Amino acid sequence: MTRQKDNLWYKDAVIYQLHVRTFCDSNADGIGDFAGLTQRLDYLQELGITAIWLLPFFPSPLRDDGYDIADYTSVHASYGSLEDFKTFLAEAHSRGLRIIIEMVLNHTSDQHPWFKEARGSRENPKRDWYVWSETDTGYQGVPIVFVDTETSNWAWDPISKTYYWHRFFSHQPDLNFDNPAVFEAVWEVMKFWLNLGVDGFRLDAVAYLVEREGTLCENLPETHAIIRELRKRLDLAHPGAMLLAEANQWPADVRAYFGDGDEFHAAFHFPLMPRMFMAVKLEDRKPIIEILDQTPEIPASCQWFIFLRNHDELTLEMVTDVERDYMYDEYAMDKTMRINRGIRRRLAPMMDNDRRRIELLNGLLMSMPGTPIVYYGDEIGMGDNIYLGDRNGVRTPMQWNSALNAGFSLADPERLYAPVISNAVYGYQAVNVDSQKRSEHSLLRWMKSLLQVRNAFQAFSRGTIQFLNPSNHRVLAYMRQFREETVLVVNNLSSSAQAVELDVQRYKGYIPIEMFGRNLFPRFGNSPYLLTLGPYQFYWFQLRRF
Amino acid sequence: MAEDVFLSDDLLRQLMSVGEVDLLVGMSSHNAANTVRHALDAIEEGLQRNFVRQRVVIVNVGGGDEHEDSVVAQGHGHLAEKGVRLHGITSLRTSHRVTANVSGPPSPGIALRTILAAADLLRARACAVVSPAASNLTPDSVANLLRPVYREKFDFVAPLYTRNKYQGLLARNLLYPMSRALFGCGIRELFSDEFGFSGRLAALCLNQDVWHEEAMQARPEAWLAISAISSDFRCCQAFLGEKSQATKGLGTDIVEVLRQTVGTLFWCLETQQSWWLECGKSQAVPTFGPAHELTSDPTDLDRHRIFEMFRSGVTELEPILSSILDPETHSEIKSIVAVEEGKFRFKSDIWVRTLYDFAASYHHAVINRDHLVQALAPLYRGMTYSFLLEHSDSSPAEMEAASEVLCGEFELQKPYLMERWKAKVEVKS
Amino acid sequence: MRQTILRALEEVYGNLVHMIAEFLPRFLVMLIIIVIGLLAAVVLKYILRALLGLTKLDRVSDDAGASRVLRMAHLPPMTELLSRSIFWVTWIGFILVGLSVLRVAGLQEQISRLFQFLPEVFVAILILFLGAVIANFLSRTALLAAVNAGHPSPKILSWSIRFVIWILAISMTLEELGVARQTVISAFSIIFGASMLGLAIAFGLGGQDLARKCLERYLGDTKKKEDKEPQPL
Repeated sequence: MTRQKDNLWYKDAVIYQLHVRTFCDSNADGIGDFAGLTQRLDYLQELGITAIWLLPFFPSPLRDDGYDIADYTSVHASYGSLEDFKTFLAEAHSRGLRIIIEMVLNHTSDQHPWFKEARGSRENPKRDWYVWSETDTGYQGVPIVFVDTETSNWAWDPISKTYYWHRFFSHQPDLNFDNPAVFEAVWEVMKFWLNLGVDGFRLDAVAYLVEREGTLCENLPETHAIIRELRKRLDLAHPGAMLLAEANQWPADVRAYFGDGDEFHAAFHFPLMPRMFMAVKLEDRKPIIEILDQTPEIPASCQWFIFLRNHDELTLEMVTDVERDYMYDEYAMDKTMRINRGIRRRLAPMMDNDRRRIELLNGLLMSMPGTPIVYYGDEIGMGDNIYLGDRNGVRTPMQWNSALNAGFSLADPERLYAPVISNAVYGYQAVNVDSQKRSEHSLLRWMKSLLQVRNAFQAFSRGTIQFLNPSNHRVLAYMRQFREETVLVVNNLSSSAQAVELDVQRYKGYIPIEMFGRNLFPRFGNSPYLLTLGPYQFYWFQLRRF
Repeated sequence: MAEDVFLSDDLLRQLMSVGEVDLLVGMSSHNAANTVRHALDAIEEGLQRNFVRQRVVIVNVGGGDEHEDSVVAQGHGHLAEKGVRLHGITSLRTSHRVTANVSGPPSPGIALRTILAAADLLRARACAVVSPAASNLTPDSVANLLRPVYREKFDFVAPLYTRNKYQGLLARNLLYPMSRALFGCGIRELFSDEFGFSGRLAALCLNQDVWHEEAMQARPEAWLAISAISSDFRCCQAFLGEKSQATKGLGTDIVEVLRQTVGTLFWCLETQQSWWLECGKSQAVPTFGPAHELTSDPTDLDRHRIFEMFRSGVTELEPILSSILDPETHSEIKSIVAVEEGKFRFKSDIWVRTLYDFAASYHHAVINRDHLVQALAPLYRGMTYSFLLEHSDSSPAEMEAASEVLCGEFELQKPYLMERWKAKVEVKS
Repeated sequence: MRQTILRALEEVYGNLVHMIAEFLPRFLVMLIIIVIGLLAAVVLKYILRALLGLTKLDRVSDDAGASRVLRMAHLPPMTELLSRSIFWVTWIGFILVGLSVLRVAGLQEQISRLFQFLPEVFVAILILFLGAVIANFLSRTALLAAVNAGHPSPKILSWSIRFVIWILAISMTLEELGVARQTVISAFSIIFGASMLGLAIAFGLGGQDLARKCLERYLGDTKKKEDKEPQPL
């Protein structure tokens, strides 16, 4: 199976996010690698995902889990070689799987040769590749991203005896995009990977590329100009390659990153994610409706990317203080679970391992407008380890079976890059791919059928959304429509059975067909349509007219 | 026997959509679209400031006015649209507003019963009833009524107000001290449009077969309070600020007010006699916020007219009073009628005995009960005149002290009432 | 002669015996009817008492003021009164039926006339009783309302109402009993009409100022009362 030639492939994709380090170790060094990942591509293909988003695998001191890049055009030795990557890429493409890789443009590691040169002397040609200042008073009022560890956006460089600007960790100096040479260097890096065959880039921290006094140094017009130029060159050189923005902003602010269809192809819808969790806890659809009502229209070629969890903390930046407090109290009572205005837990533990809630949230993810992203391990309900530092608790080894090291590696357990989850509830003995493959009603099997249904209908990936807003606020119901496909989605957000009357008079005469069992339901008539749902149950109905 | 059906299908449908709630705020309105809007804003703000995480519903028992209904139903459209911030607060949950339409102006009894039923069906933990016409309705007053129930687990919350020292004399000189002495609970404002209660109390009261009684139509809240007291539920008071002025006409028509308040109180004595006959000394009631306050703003009162109406009333109603009052009490009253206006005093012990005679006569139905209550009006005027004369220069503290003395007198003479209550009736011509 | 006397005596004795022989069975039947009537009356009395107890008639009677009227008349409460009344009515009815069995000449006709007159008597008593109750209730209502409204002559108003209702009740009673029907109706019409006319003239012409003041006071009093009395709650 090969990839379809389709420049809008990212709109119909189901993305699987993973870090090569966590997935599968082929050489028993305790660290996942590309060879191991290549061995597991069949699993991913069977699951039903259509693209893989790889977290940074570049050479790096790994002080920020690879987001501190020391060499943009190579592969970290722990994960294999560039050849291994090429093999992986080819194998993935042969299975019809596209590959999206990280591209961290905003900053490098302080171990990157560029920075080492720049800090070496003030006269170095690369000096101006970073943002320097004699004092640390510039750009006053700009917020700090990693509030738990950093106290300032300026760091003192003992070598060049000046300050340098960093929006993230102090060992991640920001690149200076006011210098055209930086842009050209970055473009060369991107060309390198595109020429190898990658299908897209997730541009990390794209909002912070440019700094200007008197601003928050985010979302500046100059940043958009840079993106437009990148996009122009990308479309010319590699049409069909995708740019995905990581901009943790309100939807109205992210809208700018789509431009007129001439900037990013896609962007994460960050504010929707915590609201899905909030809606389930509140048993009230209001948070979801409100944020989607605020979400502006985007160009036809563009797409929102939506997700439940990822490698970072569940960010609570794009919520109010009241909402943040509520989320903390409901999902992170233990303060160890909290970091950087977010919650560092996985999906299953946040749902108290309640299968129904896990299914409901995945159902929401797969039916809401946008391209869904599945975080590795969530398809089997993996747990987390909040006692590992930073956000490493959600980056533990993939659990393949109940054998040594969960089948992740043959290395000694002490050698693993991180311990496998081994408690009684989420431990690898109980939660692993093999056991779920054997069980007909496992979460893994269910996820496969979910993706199978979703992939069969473009109404989910490209369709419009129209909320029905029944009087029962615990039920979230909406229509997804694309060309002749019409899908009715009804979700019970509550822990108790609910009855709901849906106003579907304008669809009078249509027959709802439940999409998993393909069973017919009574035709829509003149009266409101009565449905009853069990706790956390959802329905997907294909509407057909006969 | 089947319970009578009093909730409309439309209301039930609305309640179904709401589901279980933590808090319920009820009000009754009729042709009052403008005041309803203000009330709703105040309630919503109070709920969002103080109970942002709780599931809440506002129930309006209205008279079927379409404009009023649309004001209520706007809900999201007016306040909570698109996550709008209300004074800097974001609403976390869907805000529910429910309208119960009844034909014609809803009586307080019907309104309360509807609100109690809604509270019971929605399993509300804490409820409050407010008046949309009250000018003192603020976001804090709603919260002050709900907080003791929701957070401190009380079952009934009565309001406390700042009043002018000449305001609320019926409550001060009759309703409060009498109910305190007889029911053993010192709730000052038994008769108020604003109060809080628990879902537990709502369920208890809803199951009583009293909703068709006449006494329940005008002032059911006192019965609710007395039911709480006599069922050993936890009661308290919460300070709500300044008391709003009563509406024109009814608020100062003393006869009508007596019929609604004293009539209800006497009726409660009938229905709860097994409690108060055994009840011991009164207990203090916990208070949230400052104790009630008195102000000394000047007021313009026609004292002479009040005295004249007392005097003429006692004289003209002698045959009726003779069948109600004990001969000794009656003769004492006749003797004070003759006293010069400037020196008139209606002593506490006589006043208390008078009221207890009325209560006992009400119990024995010596005359039509409504007539009996009306016959109290001139005597109440006499007490009022005496009070105005005695306390024209008193400070609020002195008046409070006098009030305590009066309460003591009511408690002291309780055995007298009990004796008369249980005695056989003698025929008086 | 002796023989004639003896024969006459024998004949009289024989007639007497015959009369007694004829009378005794009827007398016994009368006694039986009376006893049955007594039993029936007792049963009815208890049934009625139970039924009226369920309807809480005493309570209604208290509220209407009828109980007080009964107490003043040293009569038992309404339920007991009605129960006893039905007892006596039933038993008297049986007694009268029993008496009619005796076939005493003239008695049957009188009994028959009495039976025909009885309903009217009952109605007349009822009218009087209701009249007393209503008069009592309405006059007291008027007295209280007038006193509490500050009316200058509440007792006059109260007595007027009582007087009018009593006149009406007595007139209706006499008419029901058929006593000088035409005279009573005419007299009532004259008195009632004249009283009303007189009141209208006196109030409208003779008391123009008073009428004006009363109206002003009524319309203005409402506002004055609000302003000049302390707020009770």
